[in-house]
Amino acid sequence: MNILKLLADLVAVDPDSYERLSGRRGALTSLGQTGRRAVAAAVPLAFGAVLTKAYGRKSSTILDAFTLALTLEYLESDFYSRALSSSLAFPGTTKAVIEQIAKHEQDHVAFLQATLRASGVEVPAKPTFDFTGSKNGTRTPLFPTVFQDFGTFLKVAQLLEDTGVRAYKGQVDALITDNDLLDAALRIHAVEARHAAHIRGMRRALGANVRPWISTKDESITTAGVTDAVYAGEEAARQLLPDLVNYFPKATSLVVTGTREQATISLGEAFDEPMTAPTATSIAGLFLV
Amino acid sequence: MSKIINSGGDEADFTKPLYAPIKRRSFFMYAGATAGATALILSGCSDDEDTVTAPGTVSLGSGDIGVLNYAYALEQLEAAFYAQVIATPYTGITTDERAALTAISKHEAIHRDFFKAAIPTNQAIPGLNPDFSKINFTDRTQVLTAAKTFEDLGVAAYNGAGQLIQNGTYLLLAGKIVSVEARHAAYIRDLLTPGSFAGNDVVNTSGLDQALSVSAVLTAAQPYIKEKINGDNVGK
Repeated sequence: MNILKLLADLVAVDPDSYERLSGRRGALTSLGQTGRRAVAAAVPLAFGAVLTKAYGRKSSTILDAFTLALTLEYLESDFYSRALSSSLAFPGTTKAVIEQIAKHEQDHVAFLQATLRASGVEVPAKPTFDFTGSKNGTRTPLFPTVFQDFGTFLKVAQLLEDTGVRAYKGQVDALITDNDLLDAALRIHAVEARHAAHIRGMRRALGANVRPWISTKDESITTAGVTDAVYAGEEAARQLLPDLVNYFPKATSLVVTGTREQATISLGEAFDEPMTAPTATSIAGLFLV
Repeated sequence: MSKIINSGGDEADFTKPLYAPIKRRSFFMYAGATAGATALILSGCSDDEDTVTAPGTVSLGSGDIGVLNYAYALEQLEAAFYAQVIATPYTGITTDERAALTAISKHEAIHRDFFKAAIPTNQAIPGLNPDFSKINFTDRTQVLTAAKTFEDLGVAAYNGAGQLIQNGTYLLLAGKIVSVEARHAAYIRDLLTPGSFAGNDVVNTSGLDQALSVSAVLTAAQPYIKEKINGDNVGK
């Protein structure tokens, strides 16, 4: 967050705010880029009030983005920790890998909790999850053997990791005004992508037709109307250019080898697409009790 | 320092891959396969080895355009690297590895061409000349180690550049690419050392991937690019 720009914006919205904050201005400017967490800690009440007034919707959008992220991290973290404490048999060296991924997800939970807490927001408690998707036996389970069959476990892991990648990407625009939180979200986002690639590799090693990146050549592991939202729109084979008028590529034949069909596949693979918050929330909802 | 103005813009130039003169033949074989026979012929006619000028300094420019040029430079490097990997596969490459590396080479060529299309022609940096003379392309470990360097560097560069971007459209586009680079990085790392996809050398104790400054990234990338890249004003 650019504190100087923020102060200028505050004055524009609320001319008195500068007057009220001027006594603290030295402290604020000296904080520089350390960001809202530090600022919020330094001057929680006065600053928080004018921040909300000036940025209103925007600051709540930022908090919404982080609340969604925390929900998804709770989901992933709980998923791996329960797998590790279940009777699921982990072949070869895979248990160590899952432990490492679980550790990252726990780190993400802790990071997001601390961020929300520092923003003066009540940290949502971890929901209760049912990873079979049966909502505690009240409906037909989606993945009845998730903690008994390693292949099923990996499928759910892939769905969760790819959802995480797409969901974080869907929130970057909401975070553009806050450099520290954007930085954190991007860096978590990349780790989720590394996880997704490795989980996909583990499935491939077991014989699944799947790649480290999301491809229309991958065998489908989703069910229409239930889990297909995880990959809906991911196959986009063209990108709107920053002029918001033209698309890349002008023609698929201009960019990639081979047939139009092969070019379309490569173009879809080369860009991961974002997912909206409501979609991510509804996918997480499949596993809520 | 001279800012090189790109005078290109025709389709042949648009699709022409970056090439290393020393490997000219193999790169144009790849160019032909990539861009189609027409582009190959046009490239061959319009470009002559004698006209390659001494590498100078290339300025990435300022503001968001600077960030886009920064990404364009890195994608040019990656695309040229994988084009060479596919043109001269390392000893002992498996069918699965060849298929995956071919897919990655296409992704990177698409990313490169995407930035070329996204940046206004009069502000885009020119095609850069890579220097892969230190890499023995017949050696699996050397090739995959270089690939790991480029992919991890790309991820850290995009992560670090996020906060330099002012325009939300650019930011989302960068986000769409960085996760694909992270997937590449994970795959390549696992090829080198199984299970190293998100090792402690790239993910810190808070579970965050690396984020590097423009200057740190360019320092690491510069040995592989003949032109001197100046990124002093990127994002400013």
